[in-house]
Amino acid sequence: MDGLESPWRVAACSVADPPPLHWREELAGLLGVRPRRLGTWAELGLYGARTCLEAAGLAVLPPQAMVCVASLSGSESATHATAAQCRDGLPLPFGFLQSQSSQLLAALGQWLQWEGQGGCLAHRDPAQAWRLAQREALQAQASGLLLGQVEESGMQLATRWWWLVRD
Amino acid sequence: MRPTYLRGAGLASALGPDLPAAVHALRTDAPPRMRRHAGLDWPVHAVWEGEVPASEDAWMAHARETVCAAARESGALDTARSGPLFIASSSRDIGAREQSLAWHGDTHAFSERVAQWLDWRGPVFSVFNACTSAVQAVLSAQRCIGAGECEDALVLGLELPNRYTVCGLAAMQLLSTERAQPCGAGRAGLVVGEAVAALHLGAAPARWRIDGGACVVGGSNPAGLEPQALARALDLALARGGLQARDIGLVKMHAAGSGANDALEASLLAERLGTHVPWVTLKPSLGHTLGAAGAAELALLTACQAADVWPRLHYAPDPALAPQLGKAPAHAAHRLLLLFAGFGGGHAALVATDQEAR
Repeated sequence: MDGLESPWRVAACSVADPPPLHWREELAGLLGVRPRRLGTWAELGLYGARTCLEAAGLAVLPPQAMVCVASLSGSESATHATAAQCRDGLPLPFGFLQSQSSQLLAALGQWLQWEGQGGCLAHRDPAQAWRLAQREALQAQASGLLLGQVEESGMQLATRWWWLVRD
Repeated sequence: MRPTYLRGAGLASALGPDLPAAVHALRTDAPPRMRRHAGLDWPVHAVWEGEVPASEDAWMAHARETVCAAARESGALDTARSGPLFIASSSRDIGAREQSLAWHGDTHAFSERVAQWLDWRGPVFSVFNACTSAVQAVLSAQRCIGAGECEDALVLGLELPNRYTVCGLAAMQLLSTERAQPCGAGRAGLVVGEAVAALHLGAAPARWRIDGGACVVGGSNPAGLEPQALARALDLALARGGLQARDIGLVKMHAAGSGANDALEASLLAERLGTHVPWVTLKPSLGHTLGAAGAAELALLTACQAADVWPRLHYAPDPALAPQLGKAPAHAAHRLLLLFAGFGGGHAALVATDQEAR
């Protein structure tokens, strides 16, 4: 990954760019159930995070870990679809929630059994976002840092995750 | 780590075009400007006078004028503009495009456009943690300043006019059709607030110091408040400031007018801080400014404290929840605790100290 800073090192990573054809089924298999009411972007993020932890040999995210999700697309696809429904006067309870990128953080909390510090941000250069997250995690004395980059742009999907620990 | 100070603030809101106007409105008990989008039952605290421009160009022109004015008011434009710019927003520029549905660019493109408006030369970050976005931005800026990576930073909280947010929150049955009554006996939901808030943070000493804060995600309720997560955010904020609960002189509640969430927050506060500390809510005046709330409410609260203005309540607080809400303290508080919560299980706490209070 670009932007790795001392004293962090990559303990595991998962790069799906693009994800495998049946990634949703794979995620359901990992979780034991299909997650409900998540938009594609959040579900894709959850898939990448879960496979990254799998690669690290972790079933859950340690409570002192921090999470940072960087994305330029965010959940824009859901926003576009829901805005069209809004303009046409249709009800939009689930679409609106799915258009909120922070729903990915809640999904990570729920499915990785984690309650901790985390956030979503964007910078044109993802490495800048990684550096900011690493420094914040270091200051917060986090035991680990789960970094994700999740992009949903039309039919193009990508989810890249790194599990960082301190030396 | 170097301390971080609030060197200046700007705010355009339903209370007026700048902070002096907002403080004057609260001092004179003037009502906030409200609007209902055509065909919708739910009121909004309106940042702009009159109808929202329908064309993208006109909307952007209004947005540019409002953003530049707030940033100018904060004093951040008098710096080299080379520090980080953090833009915290839930709705970004959706109001410009929701009728045409002419989408272009990505979620970060509007932040870069704002940076161009301000002729900002430093790195630009978009923060999208729903209603805790601006607090996250303040904490990121605090870390950059504290580590000596920059002398100044600008946090912009933006919630600009749009129907989308109102329709979405209404579909989730979260909105009130009347003015919000946070912790009120007759509370019936939140009311959306539009605002542009600018916080100029820096290393040079100023009246208000940012002591500590935290954003904690709790995932068990993606649309509601979790007391455990809020308590953890509060504890972390105090610990980072080297503080105890007894050091807090005033609590700015998150409370937005929700039946369940307000009760959970009030119960937690009573348990952790006792009932002798005054509580205040700014949402009856500003509305719930969502991703901008951390910046808008910090700007307004510190300005009110400096001017010795106390927002009046126009409803009865629920005596079982918050008997002390709205009761003016005998003197300005030395240290403020501000709480926030939002979609995605976000819970945030921020502590600020008035260097001039005794």
